[in-house]
Amino acid sequence: MAIRLHLDRMLLARRMSLTELSDRVGIGVADLTLLKGGQARAIRFTTLDALCRELDCQPGDLMQFDAGEPETPAEL
Amino acid sequence: MRALGPGSVSSFLKIVLEVVHAALWVALGLLLIGGMALLVFQPFVGQLYELDLHDLTRSHPANISISPMMLALCMFGFAIYVAVLVVVFNRLRRIFETLTLGDPFLPHNVGRLRVIGLALIALQLWSYVLSTFLHWAAPSVHGDKGISVNPTAWFAILVVFVLAEVFREGARLRQDAELTI
Repeated sequence: MAIRLHLDRMLLARRMSLTELSDRVGIGVADLTLLKGGQARAIRFTTLDALCRELDCQPGDLMQFDAGEPETPAEL
Repeated sequence: MRALGPGSVSSFLKIVLEVVHAALWVALGLLLIGGMALLVFQPFVGQLYELDLHDLTRSHPANISISPMMLALCMFGFAIYVAVLVVVFNRLRRIFETLTLGDPFLPHNVGRLRVIGLALIALQLWSYVLSTFLHWAAPSVHGDKGISVNPTAWFAILVVFVLAEVFREGARLRQDAELTI
């Protein structure tokens, strides 16, 4: 996917573990691991809102568009 | 009564499908054993069979003469038809298993529906072959009907392929929902 999420970089900068973030935002560690690994297909505004609030950042700090990456096929 | 899940209509239909599936296996076995027996014992019973088909062919002459070889070929022909039916019912009962579990939108079901569609096409085409063979082997029974195309069956096959596409889209949406955080 051409959208990359820098959750690991942001966690390192805030010296916060994934489990701690999970407790703060109320999202399971498994789901956050999917986000961190770039396996998630979509992100809700509510999730983005919670992440930005707890990590004290802007959505742009978390995400990056990489034009060189291939587009994810919509087909199964 | 619920449509999905345990104790639902689909679980009842799954039991019916299991019974029909088992009955088809038995029929397939009997046809193959009967056909093989006819071929093996052909030298000993090398005469024409007189078949009384009055109940099957009300408007045609009731008795026909058929050689053991022809009868064995007919049995193998019907065995192929039943074998394809076994494939259809096997896939159907697997789809109904997922319906009973309440989770039918799986990528596997798309493939199963496509196999059912292809098997139904094969059944239709094979029925034309059987019909032509019977017309040639026993014209007095089969009459001069020839091949009759059933538009309803072909429409049903089309519906199965459309349903497969619906399941594909359903499976995609389900995966999207699962991967939305």
